[in-house]
Amino acid sequence: MSAIPPREGGAAPGATELPRPVAAELQAFETTERERLGLPAGQRAQWVEAVHTAFTRSQRDTTTVLLAGLTEAHDHLLAAAVRRLGYRIEVLPTPDEEAFQQGKAYCDRAMCNPAYFTVGNLLRYLQRLRDEQGLSVAEINRRYLCVTAAGCGPCRFGLYINEYRKALREVGFEGFRVLLFNQTIDDQQMGEGGGLEVNAKFLIQVLRGLILADIVNLLKYRTRPYERVPGATDAAVTRSRAVLMEALEQGRGMIAALRQVRREFAAIPVDRTRVKPKVALLGEIWAETTEGDGNYRLPAFLEGEGAEVEVQPLTTWILTLLWEPRFDLARLARLWPRYGKAREEAPRRVWLKVMAARGVEQAIRITFYVSGWLAGLRDFRIPNIDRLAQQAHPYYDVEQRAGEMFLEVAKTMEYGDHATAHMVLSVKPFGCMPSSGVSDGVQSLLTERNPQTLFLPVETTGDGAVNVYSRVQMQLFKATDMARREAQQALTASGLTLAEVQSHLARYPKLGNALHRSPHRYACNAANLFHEIGRRLSL
Amino acid sequence: MGSAPPRAPHSLARVQKQTVGTSTALPAAQGDSLRIGIDVGSTTVKLVVVRPGTPQVLWQAYERHHAHQPERVLELLERAEAEVPGLAAPGTRVFVTGSGAHPLAEPLGARFVQEVNAVTLAVERLHPDVMSVAELGGQDAKIILFRWNQRTGERQAWTSMNDRCASGTGATIDKCLLKIGMPAEDVQRVHLSDRPMHHIAAKCGVFAEMDVVNLTKTGVPAEEILCSLGDAIVQQNLSVLARGNTLKPRVLLLGGPMFYFPFLQECWRRRIEETWHDRGIALPKGVAPERLIEVPDNALFYAAYGAVIYGERIAEEDAPYRGSAALRAFIQAGRQARFGSRAGPPLAADADELAAFRAAYTIPPFEPPRLAAGSTVRAALGVDGGSTSTKAVLMDEDGRILNKAYRLSKGNPIQDVKELLAELKAHVEEQDAALEVTAFGATGYAAGVLENALRADVNVVETVAHMQSAVNLFGEMDIICDVGGQDIKVLFLKNGELRSFRLSNQCSAGNGMLLQATAEQFGVGVSDYAEHAFQARLAPRFSYGCAVFLDSDRVNLQREGFGREELMAGLAMVLPKNIWQYIVQVPRIDGLGRRYVLQGGTQYNLAAVKAQVDYIRERVPDAQVHLHPHPGEAGAIGAAMEALRVVRQRGHSTFVGLEQAIAITYATRTDESTRCGFCTNRCPRTYITTRTPDGSEAIYISGFSCERGTVPDVEALKAFNREQRERARRLPNLAAEEARRVFASGFPVEPLPEPGAPVQGAAPPRGWLGRARLRKRRFVRSGAATQAARAEVRIGMPRVLDMWSTAPFWRAYFETLGVPARNLVFSRESGERMFADGAKYGAVDPCYPGKVAQAHIHDLLTHHHSPQRPLRYIYFPTMPSTLGAMGSDIGLSCPVVTGTPNVIKAAFTKEVDFFAARGIEYVDAAVNFGVPVLQRAHLHATWGPRLGITRDENEFAIEQGLRAQAACEAELQQRGREVLESIEREGRFGVLLLSRPYHLDSGLIHGVPETLQELGYPVITLRSIPRDPAWLERFFREDLAAGRITHPLDIRDVWPEAHTANSAHKVWGAKFAARHAHLAVVDLSSFKCGHDSPTYGLIDNILTTANVPYLALHDLDANRPTGTLRIRLRTFAHALRVREEQLAEHTRKERELAERLRRKREELLAGGRDDAPVGVPPLAALQPAGGQP
Repeated sequence: MSAIPPREGGAAPGATELPRPVAAELQAFETTERERLGLPAGQRAQWVEAVHTAFTRSQRDTTTVLLAGLTEAHDHLLAAAVRRLGYRIEVLPTPDEEAFQQGKAYCDRAMCNPAYFTVGNLLRYLQRLRDEQGLSVAEINRRYLCVTAAGCGPCRFGLYINEYRKALREVGFEGFRVLLFNQTIDDQQMGEGGGLEVNAKFLIQVLRGLILADIVNLLKYRTRPYERVPGATDAAVTRSRAVLMEALEQGRGMIAALRQVRREFAAIPVDRTRVKPKVALLGEIWAETTEGDGNYRLPAFLEGEGAEVEVQPLTTWILTLLWEPRFDLARLARLWPRYGKAREEAPRRVWLKVMAARGVEQAIRITFYVSGWLAGLRDFRIPNIDRLAQQAHPYYDVEQRAGEMFLEVAKTMEYGDHATAHMVLSVKPFGCMPSSGVSDGVQSLLTERNPQTLFLPVETTGDGAVNVYSRVQMQLFKATDMARREAQQALTASGLTLAEVQSHLARYPKLGNALHRSPHRYACNAANLFHEIGRRLSL
Repeated sequence: MGSAPPRAPHSLARVQKQTVGTSTALPAAQGDSLRIGIDVGSTTVKLVVVRPGTPQVLWQAYERHHAHQPERVLELLERAEAEVPGLAAPGTRVFVTGSGAHPLAEPLGARFVQEVNAVTLAVERLHPDVMSVAELGGQDAKIILFRWNQRTGERQAWTSMNDRCASGTGATIDKCLLKIGMPAEDVQRVHLSDRPMHHIAAKCGVFAEMDVVNLTKTGVPAEEILCSLGDAIVQQNLSVLARGNTLKPRVLLLGGPMFYFPFLQECWRRRIEETWHDRGIALPKGVAPERLIEVPDNALFYAAYGAVIYGERIAEEDAPYRGSAALRAFIQAGRQARFGSRAGPPLAADADELAAFRAAYTIPPFEPPRLAAGSTVRAALGVDGGSTSTKAVLMDEDGRILNKAYRLSKGNPIQDVKELLAELKAHVEEQDAALEVTAFGATGYAAGVLENALRADVNVVETVAHMQSAVNLFGEMDIICDVGGQDIKVLFLKNGELRSFRLSNQCSAGNGMLLQATAEQFGVGVSDYAEHAFQARLAPRFSYGCAVFLDSDRVNLQREGFGREELMAGLAMVLPKNIWQYIVQVPRIDGLGRRYVLQGGTQYNLAAVKAQVDYIRERVPDAQVHLHPHPGEAGAIGAAMEALRVVRQRGHSTFVGLEQAIAITYATRTDESTRCGFCTNRCPRTYITTRTPDGSEAIYISGFSCERGTVPDVEALKAFNREQRERARRLPNLAAEEARRVFASGFPVEPLPEPGAPVQGAAPPRGWLGRARLRKRRFVRSGAATQAARAEVRIGMPRVLDMWSTAPFWRAYFETLGVPARNLVFSRESGERMFADGAKYGAVDPCYPGKVAQAHIHDLLTHHHSPQRPLRYIYFPTMPSTLGAMGSDIGLSCPVVTGTPNVIKAAFTKEVDFFAARGIEYVDAAVNFGVPVLQRAHLHATWGPRLGITRDENEFAIEQGLRAQAACEAELQQRGREVLESIEREGRFGVLLLSRPYHLDSGLIHGVPETLQELGYPVITLRSIPRDPAWLERFFREDLAAGRITHPLDIRDVWPEAHTANSAHKVWGAKFAARHAHLAVVDLSSFKCGHDSPTYGLIDNILTTANVPYLALHDLDANRPTGTLRIRLRTFAHALRVREEQLAEHTRKERELAERLRRKREELLAGGRDDAPVGVPPLAALQPAGGQP
C-alpha cells in the first residue's frame, strides 16, 4: 500500500503538557466522545508514492537485470558488453502490438506510445514469469529488476518511470524495481545500494556495445536491399552479432571479430545496379530506432516497397547528449568574466571539464571509425554536433532541450543541402511534443525553401498502420521517380548502357561487392555506381 | 507530363456529370488493348476504361460499396466487360488505387498506385495550369500543391493527406447529415448565402456531430447547420491539412462531397479567396474568376484515371488484367479467414451459455397497466431530451410506471415533446380515462428549452436523474453504468449518494451511437443487432478508444474479410473496454465495488449487455450485475420522481398543463437581430419563442458562448452585470482576477540610476584568471537620443503560454528601460473568432494553447498594428524555463511552450514574411530564467542592439522585472489567503482549479470558473495559494515531521522525478487540497497535453486517497463543449452539496467535541493539583479543518 493510514488516536502535541493521569483521562474521554459523535480520529489518509530502487552489490549475482528498448542488435550487444562486468542481463523481446495494448490499459491516458510499448513489454514479460514459469511475485521482485533510460530534457520520456510504477502496481507487481539510467549520472533513481555501479568502466562497455550495434545495423540496411539471395543479409547479421557478443563478453579478440564481420558482409552476393530511392529515417529517438510495431516496422516496409533505408546511428544521439552539458559549461565559462560566477568551481576547472568532455567525444568518434573501418563500413560520417547546432539555431533555438533537440531539424537540413537522401521520413509518436509539436513546424519552413527534399512526418499511434503505409507510399512514389531520374542521368552522362555496366562489374567484381561504396554524387547508390564506372571507363 | 489539357468532347474533363449508381456506355473500343483504372475508396468504387495514349474515357461508373468492396468491384467489372467489347481480351491492363484497393491488386493482376499520386498524375496531365488541388473523399482528405522548383525549373507536387483521423472528410458530413435528418436530394440544393454561421468543431468527426446535435436541438435551421458544417470542414482542412501553405490559383476541388454539395464548394471558394486576399496572392491574368476555383465535371474519377496514367510509366507487359472471374474466385475462396491473429472468441461460447444469459437478462416487454374506464389518472411526467432521442414517462404518484414513449429526435425538442405527450394522452383516452399531469420534470440536453417553454417543475441534471432512478429500483448499489446514444456515464455510489463519477467527455469513444450507425451501415435494424452479433463464431479485436478510429478500423477489418456478424460482435466487445479503460480509466475494476446497474438505451442491445456482463464478471467474479428494466427511460423516470418530490414539497406544480403543452406553438429565429452584440465575438444566437394557447410567451436563447449572451438587450445586460458583481463579491472568482492582474500595468518601477551612480550588488567584472578587478563600478547609461527613441518603440507580445507566468516581469522590464506602458501591447484573450481568423498559418497540430499562439500573432499583426500606430517588434521569447512557483530546481517549461515561438516564426515567414511586409521585427530569441547569468546575458544580447541599452540598464531592468513579478505573486497569494481562510471560517467548500497559468485565458477555460461561481462556489487558482512556509506549515506538519518532505513545497513524497514547473505545481496543488478540508478540485488539462498526462494518475491517487471531491476536465480544446461541461459541473456541484452537508455536520460535531473536551479538562484540572501546568486543548478540537469530513 502506498497510502499512509490515518493516524491512530486524536491526541495532539499540546496534550502532553498536562499531568499524565489527567492527560490519560482526557484522552479516554475524547475517544468515547468521538465514538459517540461518530467522528473519525486523526488526519486524512495521504498518498505517498512508494519507490523501489534498492539494489545492493551482493544482490548482483542473483539478480537479473532486464533490458529493452532499442534495436535487437543494440539490446544484445549492450547486454553482452555489460555481462563482461559481472551483471546478469536478459534482453526483453522487441515490443509489439500486444505489449502496446497492455501498456495502454495500465499507464496514464494520453501518454506517448513508447511508454505504452515499453511498459507493456515489461508487464507481459513479468506476467509470463509468473503465469508460465510459476514464479511468485515476491520471487520475481527479488530476482529481477529493470533498467530504463531517462532524460530527454523536459519531455514525457523522462517521466516514464512514473508509468512503470503505476502499471506495475496495478498489475500486482508492487515492489518490482525499476532503475533509471540517466545521462546525468548523479540521479538518485539510479538504485540505492551500489548494485548498479555506473563508473567509467561501465560506461565504456555500454558505449562499445552501442557503437558496435550501430555498425552492424548500418551495414545491414545498406546491404539488404541489394542482396541477391533473400535472407543472406539477415543470416550474416546473426553470425556477426554472435562473434561480436562473444568478443565483448570475453573482453578480447575484438579486432578479429570485426574482421569476421567484414568477411560476412563482403560474402553476401548483391546487385548494386538496382535503382532504389534512399530514405533517411529520422525522428523521435525511440520511434526511429525500434524495429517492431512501435514504428509499424517501417524499415522493413520501406525495403519491401523498394527503398534503401538509412537509419541513424545511436552514436550521433549519444554525442548530442554529451554535447549538451559541454556546450552549457563552455558558455557559462565564457560568460564568467562579464557576468560573474555561475558555478561553484573555478573557471579553470570548468574549462578542464569542457576539454575532458571533448576528449570523450573524440574517443567515441575514433572508436566508431576504427571499428567501422575494421568491419567494412566505408563512407559513413558521424556529423559534427557543434556544426549541426549552429546550423539549426536560426530556425530551432539550441536553448530548447527536449527530446531530439535541434537534431531533427539539422539532419533534415543536411540531407537537403548535400542531397544524400531522396526522402526524409520523420517518424514520431502521436503528440510527441518536441518532435511533432515543434520540429515539424520548423521543418515545414525548411522544406519550403528546399523543395527537392521530400519530407514526410509520420505520427505513430500504435495502430492504424494501413493509413501510415499509404502516406509513406505517397511520398515514396516520388522518391522512386527521383532515383530513376538520377540513374538515367548518370547513365546518359557517362554514355553507358545497363548492359555495359553489368559487363564491367563482371570484370571487376570488387566494384559490385556489398561493402564497396562509389563516390557520392547522387543520392541514389546505383547512380553513383554508374557514374563511377563511367569515370573509370573514360579514363 | 504536362501535355495540354484535353478538349475532346468526351475526354475525362468533359464527360457529363454522373449520379451515384449509374454508368455511361460509350461506343465500342476499337484497335488497341484497353486500360482499366479502379479507385476503391472508403465508401465508393470508381471505375474507368480508357484507351491508352488518348484522354478518351470509354466507360465509367461510380457506386457506393457499403463496405462490400470486392463484390462491388466485381459487379462493375462484369458490367464493363459486358458493355465494352474487347475488355476481357488479353492485353488489357488494370491499375488500382484507393484506400481499399490493395487487397484486390493481386487477384486482379493489377498494379497498385497510391491514391494521392494517382490524383497528382491525373491533374498533371489534364490541368497544367492548376497549382492546388483539394480532394475530399469518404474518410480521406488530400491537398496537393504544385510549385516551381527554382533550381530545376520543374513543377513539383507537394502532397498532404489526413492520417487516421477522418475529421474534415466526407464521413463527417455523412454522419452529420444523419443527425440533421435532411434528405440527400435537398442537401444537394443547399447553397451558401449570407446565413449566420454557427460554431461547429470540425477538428473531430465526433465533436462535429455533438455540435450539430446541439444546434439541431436548439432549433437552428438545417441549412444553416449544413453551411456552418461545410465552413468548419473547410477551415479544418485549410488550417491542418494545408500545413500553413496557401492554395494558390488555379484550384481544383475533387471528390464526391465536393461534387455533390454546392454549399461545400462555396465554402471552399469563400475561404480560399480570403487567404489569397490576406496573403496578397496575385491572381493569374486572363482566367475567368469562376475558373480560379473549379470543380471539374468529372471530379469523382480523377484517381481512377490517374491510376491508368501511372500505367504508362511501367513495362508494357505489366499488370495484365486477369478478368472478373479471377476476382470472383478470390471472393469465394481466397478471402476467407485471413484474420487469425486479429480474431478472438465470440460473444457466447455455445448455445447453452447464450440461453442462460438470455434467460437472465432479457427484458420482458413493457405492458402498461390497464386503467379503469372513466377514471382520472393523476401522474407525473418525466421527459429526457437526449442527444439522439427523446423519452417520456408517465408515473403515478406511487412511483408506478403507467406508460412510456420514445422518439428518435426529429430536430426540435419542443416538437418531439408535443408528439410524445399527444401519444401518451391518446393512450390514456383510448381506455376512456382522463389524464392529469401533476408534476413535470425535464432532464437531458433539451431540458433547458423545455423548462423554459413548458415551465417544468424541475430541470434535473442527467446524471442525478439516472442515479435516482437506479437507486429507487435496486436500493444500495456501488456502480451505475449508463450508456446512452452519445454519452457514457459511470456513477460511483456510497450509501445511496453520489461518491464520484466519470462521464465520457466530448470525445465519445465508441458509444451506443457507434453500434447503431454500424448496424445501419450493414442494413440491420438496431433492434436486431444482438441477433446478428450472437451468430458470430469469432470476433475481431478492435483497438478501443476514439469512435472515428474504431470506424476506420472496421473498414480495414472488413477489407480483410471479416463478415458483418463478426464485426458486430467485435464492436460490441469494444464497448466495455471503452467504458472501463478509456473513460473510467481503471484497469482493475475489482476495487470499485460489486453491485452494478446497467442502464441507458444501448442496454436494449443484448450483445452490448453480454459483453459488459462478461467483462465485469471476468474481473469481479462475485459481481451482481443488474439490468434496469427500462434502460432507455431511466433518466425520464428519475426526472419524474424528482418532479413528484419537488411538487409534494412545494404544494403545486408550475407545469403549463397537458393541453397547453400539446398545443404549444414555437418559432425559431437566427438572424442579425438575434446576434449577440455584447462583445467582439458577436455570437450568432437562436431565439426560440414559444406561445401557449393561453397566450403566455417564453423566449429561450441558445448559441451564445458566454453568459452575457443569455440576455436579450442592454437593459437586461445591466441587470445581469449588477447581479454578476454581487455574485463576485459573495463568491470570489480568483481565476478572473488573476487573468486581469497578471497583464495589468501599474507596478511603480524605479527610474534608471543616474549615469555614474555606484552600482549596487552587481557582480564585479573579473579577469581571465578569476580575480575580481578591484575598481569601483559606476552605472553606465545609454545616450539621451537612444533613450528618447525608446519612448517611441511599440512592442507587441502575445497573451499566450508562458507569457501568463512572466507578463509582470516583461512589463516592468520594458517600462524601466523607458518604453511607455501604453506602448506595451498584449494580444487580446483567445476567442473563437480570433482562432478562426488567425489559425491558418501553422504547420503543426499541438495542444490548443500552443496552436492558438498563431492566432495571437495574427491578432497583433492585424488588430494592434497599423501604419498610424505601428508595432516595431513582436516579442515572443523562447523560454526553456519559467518563473514558476516551484523554485529553480523544478523550473523547466514544456517543449511545446518553449518551441512555439520558433514554430510561429516558421509559419509566418514561410511563404510570405508577414513581419517584414509590415516593417515589424519578430523577436523569438531565448531567455533562460533558470540560470540568472544566462537570463542577463540573453536579454542583453537580444535588447542591447535593438533598444540600445547598456549592460547596467539591462540588469537594473531585470531586477525591476523580478520585483514586479514578485509583487504580482504576493498580491495573488494575499487574495488566495483571504478566500481560503474565509471558506474555512464559514465551513464552506471552495473549488481549486488545478491548471496551468495560461488556462485562465477565457478562450481556453470555456467558462468553467463562471459556471462554478454560478453553482455557488468560490474559485481559487493554483497561483493564489499562499506559498509562505509558515502559513503552509499546519497543512504539511505531519509530512515534515515524518521526513517525507523537507519543505512544504517539496513533492518528492509523491513524485520524485518531477522537473517541469507547471506540472509539479499542479501536483503540489493536489497535495495541498488533500490537506485542506474545504477544498474541492477541478483538474483542467488540454487535449494532447504531454506534460499533464503523467500527472493524471498521480493527482487521482492524491485526491482519492484523501477523499477530496474532484472533477477531471481533461481534453480541453478549441471548441467550447458547453453541453458536456455543464453536465459535469452540475453533477459535480450535486456531489459537492452532499459533501458540504457532511462537512457542516462534521464541523458541528468537532465544535461540540471541543467544547466538551474543554469543560472536561477544566473539570479534571480543578479536581487535580493547583500547580499543574496549563496545557492547550487538543489540536483536533481546535482545528476541525484537519479531520476527515
